[in-house]
Amino acid sequence: MATVEQRVKGVVARVLETDAARIRPEHSFTFDLGAKSVQSVELVAAFEEEFGVELDEDAALAVTTVGGAIDFLTQACRDQGVAL
Amino acid sequence: MSAKTKSHPLVDATQPNLLEETFDYSLPPRIRFDQPCVEYIDGQALEFNLSRAQSRDIFVTDTTFRDGQQSRPPYTTDQMVHIYGLLARLGGPHGVVRQSEFFLYTKNDREALDRCRSLGHRYPECTGWIRAVKGDFRLVQEAGLKETGVLTSCSDYHIFNKLKFKSRKECLESYCEVLAAAFEAGVRPRCHLEDVTRADLDGFVLPFVDRVMEMSSHVPQHLKPKIRLCDTMGFGLSYPGAALPRSIPKLIYKFNRECGVPSELLEWHGHNDFHKVHVNGVTAWLYGCDALNATLFGFGERTGNPPLEAAIIEYIALKGGLGGVDTTAITELADYMRSIGLPIPDNYPFVGKAFNTTSAGIHAGGLRHDERIYNIFDTTKLLRRPPRVAITDKSGADGVTLWINDFLGFSNNDRINKMKCHKVARWVADQYELHGRLTAISDQEMETKVRELMPEHYAQRKKH
Repeated sequence: MATVEQRVKGVVARVLETDAARIRPEHSFTFDLGAKSVQSVELVAAFEEEFGVELDEDAALAVTTVGGAIDFLTQACRDQGVAL
Repeated sequence: MSAKTKSHPLVDATQPNLLEETFDYSLPPRIRFDQPCVEYIDGQALEFNLSRAQSRDIFVTDTTFRDGQQSRPPYTTDQMVHIYGLLARLGGPHGVVRQSEFFLYTKNDREALDRCRSLGHRYPECTGWIRAVKGDFRLVQEAGLKETGVLTSCSDYHIFNKLKFKSRKECLESYCEVLAAAFEAGVRPRCHLEDVTRADLDGFVLPFVDRVMEMSSHVPQHLKPKIRLCDTMGFGLSYPGAALPRSIPKLIYKFNRECGVPSELLEWHGHNDFHKVHVNGVTAWLYGCDALNATLFGFGERTGNPPLEAAIIEYIALKGGLGGVDTTAITELADYMRSIGLPIPDNYPFVGKAFNTTSAGIHAGGLRHDERIYNIFDTTKLLRRPPRVAITDKSGADGVTLWINDFLGFSNNDRINKMKCHKVARWVADQYELHGRLTAISDQEMETKVRELMPEHYAQRKKH
């Protein structure tokens, strides 16, 4: 089964149309991966769908890096009783 | 560069100070004064306490059917009756819209006047408008009006170049004869001092007003003449220190304190030739004219008159309360004017289609968090116009989300977040980024996309 990191990278690669293999945890969605305003929202929506969780909009959009998203989604799944 | 004279240390806070004593969102922001103004008049420093206007019985008078009709084809009688009824509702039971003036010359003029009066509203009181011709008082008497405006043009441009009087004395005597006829007819005259901001005050205007006051010293209160200061060409200035005859504060001082015309008999009538019309009108209120003459949406000769609806908003801001005004009538009046072919620009304050519409995504984000951030007051309650978002390339997900929530009728806990709206936000972004669109996206297009891309939410919509 894929890890949280792999699943996050897969979503990021699909939404931002980039190669999953070159995505690193320290990458910023905006500066390194080129996410524009609407894409940030699309990313959060895609994370919700991938992990089956509801995310707080402001908190989710405040996450700026891939590693931050991994931590945030891990915690959200725990809080909402979603198995990883 | 000026030298620094005072330091301003940060007053740190963890809670916002929203200055709600001034910016009470339920009303237009309060207008507050913290000290008197000083004007130098004839070499003397004189103090004006502008906050006194807040306790005076200031009011609006309407000239939509007189000056307002000089800029457009005539209203039909039905239209006038409808507008008059809405003016009555707007001004409320205390007569914040106190009077409305009518032409009296044609059969249609009379019919409109009679039908408006037959509605039975106490306010606005119907008054007339006639030339400075003695015989015209017959029209006023026949109409049963208690007050009429009389042209008493007072600049030499009018006295000599238009009216062709041979001398100021001849002009003054002629005007006084008309006033005498008004008293005899039992009609209160309202002297329209045309072109007063371009007139020789000391040489003609003040001597004439002195004479009017002398003539009226023995007439009963209900016949005491009113003095309308007509800024015919929009030359009036509100700035402190401006010189006569253009200074509005100084003009009013001369009439009010030197000639002894009480505030309740002083009225300001402005024009917008220099974009000053509203502020000039309010300045007149503040310095001693109780009446501000205005037209709906500023429609009037050339560049127009003080916008009546803006005067109403200013009234509320000065008084700190509605005073019986029904502000929702402003929106109905604007809708009605549009329906009869009078265009109102989209960005026109209080009633334009876009007056409280933002198209910038960052502003929409602010509106989404707290509408007070980018809305002037509670326009939903006072004008039945909720703040809105126009969808363009600048809207972003914030703007799209706000539009969708408003469209669906979702508020407070019902509101859906940006993630739920991302498909529509993507479609909007693609219109501009991929397809090179240059126009705003219409409400109809947005509705179609919400129905297509968010069918579950669309089915839950509360506005139909």
